[in-house]
Amino acid sequence: MSWLSEFEAELTVRGIPLAPRERLVAELADHIACEPGASTAIALARLGVAREIAGQYADELAADDARRGAFAVFAALAAAAVALVVSQVTLGQRVGYPGFDHGFSAALALPAILMILIGPQVALVGGTLAAWRALRRRREAVLPAAEIALVRRRARIGLAAGIVTSIGLVLYTVDFIGVLPAWWLALSGTLAFAALVALAAARRTLARGALTVALAGGPPGDLFDDLTPLRRLRGHPLALCIGGALASGVVVTVGEWHAEHSFAEGLQRGAFEALALSIGFAALGRAIGARR
Amino acid sequence: MRSEALKGHLDGLILATLADGPAHGYAIAQTLRERSDGAFDLPEGTLYPALHRLERAGLISSDWSVQAGRRRRTYQLTRAGGSSLRERRREWQLFATAVEAVLA
Repeated sequence: MSWLSEFEAELTVRGIPLAPRERLVAELADHIACEPGASTAIALARLGVAREIAGQYADELAADDARRGAFAVFAALAAAAVALVVSQVTLGQRVGYPGFDHGFSAALALPAILMILIGPQVALVGGTLAAWRALRRRREAVLPAAEIALVRRRARIGLAAGIVTSIGLVLYTVDFIGVLPAWWLALSGTLAFAALVALAAARRTLARGALTVALAGGPPGDLFDDLTPLRRLRGHPLALCIGGALASGVVVTVGEWHAEHSFAEGLQRGAFEALALSIGFAALGRAIGARR
Repeated sequence: MRSEALKGHLDGLILATLADGPAHGYAIAQTLRERSDGAFDLPEGTLYPALHRLERAGLISSDWSVQAGRRRRTYQLTRAGGSSLRERRREWQLFATAVEAVLA
């Protein structure tokens, strides 16, 4: 097998897309052709080991793609957040929130409301942690394969939660057709659609980047590398979960107490928030690097 | 010079080579070898991942051209690449001066 064939085969094994693969092979073929005849052997020796060079390229591309995917997801989630906030603020200020059982069906409204309430929080955590790790490690040419996997996992979780949120907004809008003004239904539907388009584009970027196989060794790092003030909680996942649940529960309780002028209502919502966070931690903590 | 020691400086060396004008991969490798009097003993194949990485970072750009009947990719410095090179030169001067002061 010639040097170039071995190089191309290795690039293929590492999942390098066709266009950069063909370009690299053409460039190296030109490099070898610059020293024809007996000098070709010297040129090949100077090039180095085909497998190592292909591996270096794949590891660098995988790191770049993981970062690009994380940033794309974060940007799409920001767009989805704007869509949700505009939709809900205009509804609250211009129309007033309808009761959940005033629409087409409570069986449609309740899941939609849950999706709108929980989805953004998961999206915020997953998307922000992915983008933050990508930003922190933006100057590294190569990242450990395990770390790339962590960034991709966080981004996928954020993306999935963003999609759930946007679908929830669509369901919510559909549920109140005939109850809420046509202008708001059109606004909300358009915003939800735009958010879904942005999220689909980010999903494409993320999926394309995931084709490259990274093999560089090294630890993935965890949540505590990203959020250094929490470092003393490393190795104590239960304490982290309880602390997070209590903090978010208190914040929601106080906020809703003031918003609803009812401590009981605030406490109920705060308890729900703490419970939701605990369930989220149990389900996704390992995936986002919060526990081993 | 060991290739591991060179790796951390490869991007800056490539940018410095391209500061003289557009060049293709083989010419860049030759220039590096000649200017260092053969001291830079880096596997030349590793130049290409570095060139692609610098291009993804927007520090260089490239185009296909035909020279002597052969298709080849020619690289050139972008404006961002020029700024990056100036910054790297400044950092290197500081570093080299400090090391010199300690070792001399």
